[in-house]
Amino acid sequence: MESLNTILLHPDRRIGADMERWRKAGGGQALARAAVDPAAVREAIREADLRGLGGSGFPVWRKWDAVAAESPKPDKYLVVNGNEDEPGTYKDRLLLEETPHQVIEGALVAALATGANRVVFYVNPDLALSLAALKTAIELWQASELLDLASTALGRPLELTLLPGSGHYIGGEETAAMEWIEGRFPFPRGKPPYPAQVGVHGCPTLINNVETLAQVSHIVAHGAEWFRSLGKAPGTGTKLYSLSGDVLYPAVYELPMGTTLRELIFVHGGGLLSGKPLKAVFTGGPSCTLLAPVDLDVALDFDSLRARGGSLGTGAMIVISEGTGIVKRVAEYMRFFAHSSCGQCMSCKTGTATMSLLLDRIDTGRGTAADLATLENLCAMLPGTGRCHLITGVVQLLDSSFRHFKHEYRQALR
Amino acid sequence: MNMNNGIPLAQASALYRPDADIGSPPVLADPQALLNAFHPDYLGSSVTKLAVGANAGDSCQRELAGLLQAEAIIDEADLAGAPVTDIDVLVIGGGGAGCAAALAAAERGARVLLVTKLRLGDSNTVMAEGGIQVAIEPDDSIQRHIEDTLRGGHDIGNPELVAAMAEDGPDVIRWLIRAGMQFEQTASGDLHTRRAGGMNAARIVHCRDYTGLEMMRVLRESVIQHRAIEVWEQSPAVELLSNEDGRKCVGAVFKSLIDGRFRMVRTHSVILATGGVGRLHLNGFPTSNHLGATGDGLVLAYRIGACLRDLDSFQYHPTGLVYPPHLSGKLVTEGVRAAGAWMLNAAGQRFVDELLPRDIVSAAILRECQEGRCVRVDDGRVGVWLDTPRLERSQPGLLERQFPKLLARFRVSGVDPRHDPLLIHPTLHYQNGGVVIDVNGATTVPGLYAVGEVAGGIHGRNRIMGNALLEIISFGRRAGVAATAQRDRGPKKVTLEHVNRARRDLTLAGIPLTQAAPQILPDYAAKGIWNR
Repeated sequence: MESLNTILLHPDRRIGADMERWRKAGGGQALARAAVDPAAVREAIREADLRGLGGSGFPVWRKWDAVAAESPKPDKYLVVNGNEDEPGTYKDRLLLEETPHQVIEGALVAALATGANRVVFYVNPDLALSLAALKTAIELWQASELLDLASTALGRPLELTLLPGSGHYIGGEETAAMEWIEGRFPFPRGKPPYPAQVGVHGCPTLINNVETLAQVSHIVAHGAEWFRSLGKAPGTGTKLYSLSGDVLYPAVYELPMGTTLRELIFVHGGGLLSGKPLKAVFTGGPSCTLLAPVDLDVALDFDSLRARGGSLGTGAMIVISEGTGIVKRVAEYMRFFAHSSCGQCMSCKTGTATMSLLLDRIDTGRGTAADLATLENLCAMLPGTGRCHLITGVVQLLDSSFRHFKHEYRQALR
Repeated sequence: MNMNNGIPLAQASALYRPDADIGSPPVLADPQALLNAFHPDYLGSSVTKLAVGANAGDSCQRELAGLLQAEAIIDEADLAGAPVTDIDVLVIGGGGAGCAAALAAAERGARVLLVTKLRLGDSNTVMAEGGIQVAIEPDDSIQRHIEDTLRGGHDIGNPELVAAMAEDGPDVIRWLIRAGMQFEQTASGDLHTRRAGGMNAARIVHCRDYTGLEMMRVLRESVIQHRAIEVWEQSPAVELLSNEDGRKCVGAVFKSLIDGRFRMVRTHSVILATGGVGRLHLNGFPTSNHLGATGDGLVLAYRIGACLRDLDSFQYHPTGLVYPPHLSGKLVTEGVRAAGAWMLNAAGQRFVDELLPRDIVSAAILRECQEGRCVRVDDGRVGVWLDTPRLERSQPGLLERQFPKLLARFRVSGVDPRHDPLLIHPTLHYQNGGVVIDVNGATTVPGLYAVGEVAGGIHGRNRIMGNALLEIISFGRRAGVAATAQRDRGPKKVTLEHVNRARRDLTLAGIPLTQAAPQILPDYAAKGIWNR
C-alpha cells in the first residue's frame, strides 16, 4: 500500500505546529522558489491540472489567473476556506490540526502567484483543535524570516489573519464567507460579479479550500509532471477521502486521485461491518449524490464521476450497508439542509423545509402517494432557483436516491 | 445439580422426624473457603473476560458475556416506517423501580411513557416476599443499616449509594403508606419488624409474606390513575437510540408482542428499570425470577457504552423449591428462616447457621448436595430439607398467620408445610452487579438512567434481605426526579450509531456476530409469541 498517505498526510509531515521540525523536513523550499518566479507557479498549477478540492472540482488556475489579472483595489485578498461542515467530511480539520505549516506555505505561494497581500484563514469555529494549531502556527510565521521573504517578493507587507467562521453550514459558500469576513451574516451573494473581480470589501479575492492550497507547495517543489504522475489518469495528484459509515476502519485516506470505490472500501476501509453487502454510498459535498453497488469500480475523480451523473464533492464517502433505510437517511440529510438553508431565497427556504416535512412523514409511516408525487415535482421545479448552489445540491441528493431506491419510498408509504 | 447421589425422596421422607433431637450446627471456620469451593461465582469455569466495550478486561459470567458481546437484533431498515413518539421521560420496565421512577417524574410535571415487556407489574417485585429493610427501631440506626449492607456485600459496594438508599428508607416507607400500602403492625400500632440473615437489628418491615405483591398493587394503581403517565404493555425494548456520535441516549425502539411492529420513542431521558437475569438460567440453575428477567437492560446499556460492574456476581437464594416439580425454583421466603426454621441434610443434621448471609448458606447447601448428604427426586434433582414442621410445632399457627402465601402455594399440590418438610436447593435469584450509577441513578452514558436490579454497586457481591425493595423505590424516585431536570429541546437526530460502533469493536476483536441479543424471552417461552 505504498500509495497510501504519500504527500499531504505523509507521517513526516504530521507534526502539528512545530515549525523547526517542519523546516528540517524540507518546509519552506516551495515558498523560496515562488518568491523568485511567481509567474512560473501559475504555469505549474495549470499544467498539474489541480482542481478545487473543496467540492467544486473547478480548475484552480482559472481562478488564479483571473485574480492575478486584476489590479489591487487597494488590496487583494486570499481566503483559505476551512469552514468544513459537510456531513461525513473531516479532512480539512485533520490538515489544519496536524500540518498547519503545509497549509500556510501553500497559501503564501498562492498569494505570491496572484499578488494577494491579505491572507485570511477562515475556519469553522467548532474545530477547536484545528483553530488552536493554526493559531500557534500563524504566530510562528509572523516571527519568521520566511514571511519577510515573501513580503519582499510581493513588494508590500503580507498580512495573515485567523478568523473563526460563523458556525453556519452556508458560511462555507465562497461569497457567504466574504460577507462574514466583512462582518455581516453569511448570506451568499449573487454572481456575477465574481469574487475574482469584486470580493471582500470590493477587492479582488481568491478563495480556495484548505486541501487545495496544501497541494500547492508540493507542486511547486516537485513540478507539475511529478504531480500528474501521482494520480490515476484522468485524475492528477492525490485526494483525501473521508471514509465513514458502516466500514471497519473509518478514517481519512490520502490516495491517488482516481482510486476506485472498491479499493477505498475493501482494501483501505477493511470492508463492510458484519460482512453485509454494500447498499449505497453517499458522496459528501455541496451536491452529494448516491452511488450504488454498480459504481464500485468507477474511478473516484471529478470527471469520471460527473460522467456518471454523480459528483466527487469533498471526497467524503459515507458507506451504507444492506439493512439501512435509505428513506431515513435521506430524511436526516434533508433535515440538516432545511436547518442549514440561510433563508434568503424563498425557493430554498420553503423548498428544503417542505421536502424535509414530506420525507419525515414518509419515513415515519404516515406518507401517501401524493406526498411522494409532490417530492418528485419539487425535484423538477427547484434546481437552479437559489442564489447559491444549496438547493440544487439538495435536489440532486433526493433525485439520485429516487433513481436507485424508488421502491423503498413506495414501501414506506401508508 | 443433576447428580445421581443422595437419598431418594420417598426413603428420606420416611426417615424424617419432626420431633428428632437436633443439636446446634457446626461452627463455620472459614466462610471464604466454603464460597471458593462451592459457590458458582467463584468457580473458574463459570467466568470469562470481556473482550470489548466499556468493561473490556473485566470478569463476567460466561453466558452473560456471550449476550453482552452479541449482535443487535435490529437494523436501521427495520425502523423504516416505524411511528415515532416524543415524550419527556421514557421508563423501560413495569416493575416497582419503573413505577416509582414514572411516578416521581410525573409528580414533577413531566409527561412520562412507561413501556413494559409483558404487563404492568409483571416483575420480580411481586415475588419479593420478605419485606423492606429500613432502620426505624429504637435500637437501630441508619449507620448500622449502611454497615450491614456493606458488610453483607463483602465490602465492595459503593458506600455513597448505600448511604443514599439507607437514608431514604424511612421516607420511602412514609411514601408507600401514603400511597396506600398495608404493613404488618404490632398490637400498639407500630410497624412490625423482623430480623433477617446478615443484619444486626430487627429491620424488616413487611406485609405478611407478600410484601412485594402489596407494594406492586399500590404502585400499579397509582401509575394507572396518573394522567401524565402513559403505559404501553407487551412491548419489549429491542434497542436504545443514540445521537449522531453514538455517545448519548436519546430514546429506544420497541417491538410490540401484539402486532409485531416496531415503534420508536424519542426523549432526552431514558430510565432503564428492566430488572435482572434469572431467566438466563446462568450456570444451569433454576430461577425464582419472572418470565421476562432476561437481562435485556444490561445488554442494551452495554452496547450504548455504559459501564457495568460485578458481572461475575449473582445471588443464589438458598431456599428455592425442588419439589413438587411445577414449583421448581420458586422461592420460600427468607422470612421462614428468620422466624426460626432450620435446614437439615438428608441425614437429619443441621449443617450451617441458617441466618448467615445468603451466599454462604447457598454454598453450604451446594456442599451438602455435592458430597451426597442430600435428598434426590426421581428426575435427578437434589435438595435439602427446610424444616417447617418443627417451626410449626415450636410456634403453633405461625405459618398460617405470617406466611399465608406459602401455604396457599402448596394447597393444591398435596404438600402441607405444616406436616412435611420442604425440599430446597439454591435458586438463581438476583443480579448483584449491574449498570454503574451515581446517587441519581445516572449511568456513564448521558441521558441514560438505570434503577432497580439492572443497576449495580449497592449490594456489592451479595445482597442482604429487604434491600431490593428499598432500592427500587429509593433510586426509582431519585432517577425520576433527576430525569425531569433535563430540559433541553430533545434530540435532533436519533440513530443506531452505537450499534455500528459495537459491531466494529466486535469485528476487530474477532468475535463472530452469530449470536443476537437482547434475548427478550427465554427460549422455552419465546416459541409462538416472539416469532409471530
